Amino acid sequence: MRETYGKLLPGMDLSHVSGKLIVIEGTDGAGRTTQMELLKPWLEELGHAVLDTGMTRSTLAGDGIRRAKEGVNLGRVTQSLFYATDFVDRLENEIVPALRAGFIVLTDRYVYSLMARAMVRGTDPQWIRSIYSVALKPDAVFYLRLGIEQLVPRVVFSRGFDYWESGMDLYPGQDMYDSFCNYQAALLAEFDRLSEEFKFETVDAAADARSVFSQLKVKILALLENDSRKQFLSMLAMRAAGGFMPKAEEDAIAAAARKHSVTRDLELVSQPFAAHAPNGNGNGHGAIQHLKPSA
Amino acid sequence: MGISPGMQSGGFEAGAAIRAATSTAKKRGEHQFPGKLFVVEGIDGSGKSTQLSLLHKWLESRGYGVVFSEWNSSPLVKDTTKLGKKKKLLTPATFSLIHSTDFADRTERSILPLLKAGAVVLCDRYMYTAFARDVARGMDREWVRDLYGFAVQPTVAFYFRVPLETAIGRLLDARDGFKFYEAGMDLGLSDDPEESFRLFQGRIIEEYEKMIPEFGLTVIDATLPIEIQQTRVRQIVKSHISDAVELRMQP
Repeated sequence: MRETYGKLLPGMDLSHVSGKLIVIEGTDGAGRTTQMELLKPWLEELGHAVLDTGMTRSTLAGDGIRRAKEGVNLGRVTQSLFYATDFVDRLENEIVPALRAGFIVLTDRYVYSLMARAMVRGTDPQWIRSIYSVALKPDAVFYLRLGIEQLVPRVVFSRGFDYWESGMDLYPGQDMYDSFCNYQAALLAEFDRLSEEFKFETVDAAADARSVFSQLKVKILALLENDSRKQFLSMLAMRAAGGFMPKAEEDAIAAAARKHSVTRDLELVSQPFAAHAPNGNGNGHGAIQHLKPSA
Repeated sequence: MGISPGMQSGGFEAGAAIRAATSTAKKRGEHQFPGKLFVVEGIDGSGKSTQLSLLHKWLESRGYGVVFSEWNSSPLVKDTTKLGKKKKLLTPATFSLIHSTDFADRTERSILPLLKAGAVVLCDRYMYTAFARDVARGMDREWVRDLYGFAVQPTVAFYFRVPLETAIGRLLDARDGFKFYEAGMDLGLSDDPEESFRLFQGRIIEEYEKMIPEFGLTVIDATLPIEIQQTRVRQIVKSHISDAVELRMQP
């Protein structure tokens, strides 16, 4: 059963949520967008339906936030709540419906970025946590971590300074560069704290995009495979107990097995995956191969 | 804005006040600013806006710097709310959040800085409206109260108490029908707008009644003649600003 961080929104049914919620988090310049663009087609090629989402993409509040950020008079509390509106609109209308339909939901940033931004701006941590207590706990949070010494040149040299990315609302009077450095360093410190609290899986984002992608693939496959392995074990347990399994369910499991035997042939899967196998025997595939139904 | 230049020297830098306000989210004590904050609450048709406008005229005529702020009126946010209502995009949660966003903008941009500057701030509807409506829509009571943790405690919050049938009669006299969200049609209580309004506003009244002791709302019997109600309102307001001579604008 799926859980939220504390409160359930009215009308939100989490009883049959079969999809996976995968979060890509990180500061500006950590390469989140690049990885999102690589991960989506890759997952689709493996046969998963993917919904990708991210900040300010809601039908309700996306345009409103963009308009509000054109000026420089968006206050700290207002900003937090506008983003919360955007998030909850997507949670209710995109994320949860897609998860219920069995999609993999890939999200570029999640509530953690929003919490970090609010806390760096001096709002009460309890206040912002209470608001996001309605958020769904994800299956995995991959934190693309970039040290401040890499972050600054990456953002500054690629797209220059943006008023909000530089935290100019926080440090008025400073020049954009100083403000940017102070703001991003404060955000990074907040992310590192959140990373411990919410058990992020940290990925070193200083590496080139391709090797970050490889690491993410390994971790995501482990996540997906874990799940299908559980299905196999429960099926075996039922068989051993002489239990009855509906034909449709058995077919679905056989299909999952076929799909994952295909993934095994893909690059990067065999060696790194074994090393990440969480069942302790160091051989993540063994179980699947032996348990595979002799169709 | 109706306040003298001298009063603006308090500055409009609300950052520190916001920090102070959000960091004391749970214990909402009365603010320490020189200004005064009076708010009116009640269901649609309770006559609260009429009373507030009469109070506004009176305070101005007596030389006070008065500023008025209305629910759902932030220039940054109201377009989004309008879109949500027009296209029926709002769920109880996003209805709650977009209204709190609107309220936050007005708090940060005008209510807080003006209280610091020493103005008398009048609000037509305040956080209690959200507490009543959002909870009537099924939002968690504690969650909504936490959401408004940044709000300033008013000097006096008037609750205009009126029986449902009286309010419905007034509304139907004044206009054709009820709007979708106003009637709580999003809750599917009834297909008939008037019946839905009745059920929804009934729930809202229940929430207001619970808030009277919880927040110390000042109850005004809104079935009394307008003049009698206004006399009471003025008496109460006067008792809170009589010592606040510095609020008066120099002629």
